[in-house]
Amino acid sequence: MSSAQFEIQLIASLVAIACAIPGTFLVLRKMAMISDAISHSILPGIVVGFFITQDLNSPLLILLAAITGVITVVLVEYIQKTGLVKEDTAIGLVFPVLFSVGVIMIAKNANDVHLDVDAVLLGELAFAPFDRLLISEVDVGPKSLWVIGIILMITITLLIAFFKELKLSTFDKGLAASLGFSPAIIHYGLMSVSSITTVGAFDAVGAILVVALMIAPSASAYLLTKNLKKMLFLSIVFGVFSAISGYWFANWLDASIAGSITTLLGLLFLAIYLFAPNKGIIAVLYREKQQRTEVSLLTFLLHLKNHDEVSERHVNHLNEHINWQKVRAKTVLDLAIKNNMIVIDNNIVSLTSKGNTFTSQAIDYIITNEDAQIEDMKDDFFLFRG
Amino acid sequence: MNNKIAVQVDDLTVAYNYKPVLWDIDLEIPEGVLMAIVGPNGAGKSTLIKSILGILNPIAGSVSIYGKSYKKQRSLVAYVPQKGSVDWDFPTTALDVVMMGTYGSLGWIKRPRQKEKKATLEALEKVGMLPFKNRQISQLSGGQQQRIFLARALVQDAAIYFMDEPFQGVDATTEIAIINILKELRKVGKTVVVVHHDLQTVPEYFDWVTFLNVKKIATGPVKDIFNDDNLTKTYGINYKVSIQE
Ligand SMILES: Nc1ncnc2c1ncn2[C@@H]1O[C@H](COP(=O)(O)OP(=O)(O)OP(=O)(O)O)[C@@H](O)[C@H]1O
Ligand SMILES: [Mg+2]
Repeated sequence: MSSAQFEIQLIASLVAIACAIPGTFLVLRKMAMISDAISHSILPGIVVGFFITQDLNSPLLILLAAITGVITVVLVEYIQKTGLVKEDTAIGLVFPVLFSVGVIMIAKNANDVHLDVDAVLLGELAFAPFDRLLISEVDVGPKSLWVIGIILMITITLLIAFFKELKLSTFDKGLAASLGFSPAIIHYGLMSVSSITTVGAFDAVGAILVVALMIAPSASAYLLTKNLKKMLFLSIVFGVFSAISGYWFANWLDASIAGSITTLLGLLFLAIYLFAPNKGIIAVLYREKQQRTEVSLLTFLLHLKNHDEVSERHVNHLNEHINWQKVRAKTVLDLAIKNNMIVIDNNIVSLTSKGNTFTSQAIDYIITNEDAQIEDMKDDFFLFRG
Repeated sequence: MNNKIAVQVDDLTVAYNYKPVLWDIDLEIPEGVLMAIVGPNGAGKSTLIKSILGILNPIAGSVSIYGKSYKKQRSLVAYVPQKGSVDWDFPTTALDVVMMGTYGSLGWIKRPRQKEKKATLEALEKVGMLPFKNRQISQLSGGQQQRIFLARALVQDAAIYFMDEPFQGVDATTEIAIINILKELRKVGKTVVVVHHDLQTVPEYFDWVTFLNVKKIATGPVKDIFNDDNLTKTYGINYKVSIQE
């Protein structure tokens, strides 16, 4: 691996981390769309900054563009506050306008500006190592590495300092306000960090990848954990993993690095969406099926409890009487036997004492919804997990 | 009860998008009362509490807590929001939510330590939720979530408690457990203000009541003003509740 290859992966990984942190809070605040808006509407800020500084990595340009990002948020909220349109409509109104202003500014000055819309949207990670930062003639590494590195340091410092405030105001804005932690300050702080990260990263990876890196890893992590710190950690891991594997994927396909990383992020999310243990589609479908079986089981046990007559408890009779198909009846019988709830003697089914207690408790629970006594049954039966 | 005024609201008008939902409210809440705020859905009960707590900015009027502005008296006030106002799928545990009650006294940046943890566990114990402390909050029942919110207010150790529908969606056992805690708070001299929907239980639970429907209809001791006349004025329909003396 050459040093340029290493540097590209390092830059991509740092961008991934810098995006995952604000991204986690955007996802939890259900504001994913806002990052899309910011990523587009920073364009006029970048263009104006570029006119002034002639350098895509200049701090002034980053600041100007980040301010455009925050202005976007303010405009969206202002339009939304009029009560005439919903938030997504407001977003859809604001960012295309700002983005077009940027496009027109570039087109008008095409001759003397080395800046094009493609570069802003898609970036060019492969070229990032060639733009070096020289300090008194000494090469200290790629410029974008420094830019994103500094932004990341700031983000991490803010995260550590204000973790408690971010968590509180994300979970319960009202309480935050009543305790004196102004939700507005925290909100605009988060918006500023998101804007600065987007601007700092676009030169290396492009605005589209920034959006993907902010949202996909956090959305995936959200499906896997119930702990905010773990969610942050997982989004960082997912981001870095996609960044590095995306790089090698692009290398192998000889394709765009940003495109490959974005594709991998999509695949990663899809895989987690399908296979996540609790919230994943497959787990949910499995749970629903289990619950259906358990309801059948309960119906069946209740039937046994209510009917002492031998004729009512014959295996064949059950098929007809409860009106189940063979497969369903067999699944239910097997489940009941496995749990020692029934015994079958000469094709006559009877409840065991365990089955008897279970039925009473379960019915009791369904009627009263008091779940203290069935706490230990939750592990075995989905039915009781709410 | 003495004659001190815990909360004073003067000429308060609050609007969303320039449409007033509270008109010219004057209200005095004496120290040490257990007060119900009653009124139909959309009457502005939550809005009133939020305005007192500085969460919303009124377009006119003022609020004082023991004679000073809310900003100066934050530490004296605890708040239980309406349960539906937060996302219960948020990745956090019961313990952590209750711990949020300590953030106010900590201030910016500082983290909760042993002392805060201890207060949190005590509050969980008091509402009977200690066994559930590590549960993710989405896996709590509605009544348990309500208890968690109550514990979070208790941990604030305030002088005045504002609670927005703490009985919403709880069963009889939880309701009794909650009201006993509220009565205990009153016994030690705290002021408790509760948005309440079940008119039948007002005389049994509360000693003070405020009728609200965009305007303040009446406020005072339950035994003096909790009558059909005020109920009808507030709810707009001919209301009859029997009050046992
Ligand atoms: N964020 C908001 N934006 C616009 N209007 C709002 C907002 N919140 C509340 N309202 C309106 O203000 C009025 C008062 O609302 P509020 O929530 O204070 O009522 P409430 O008395 O607490 O009702 P409920 O019993 O349903 O909780 C209602 O008409 C409501 O539609
Ligand atoms: Mg309300």
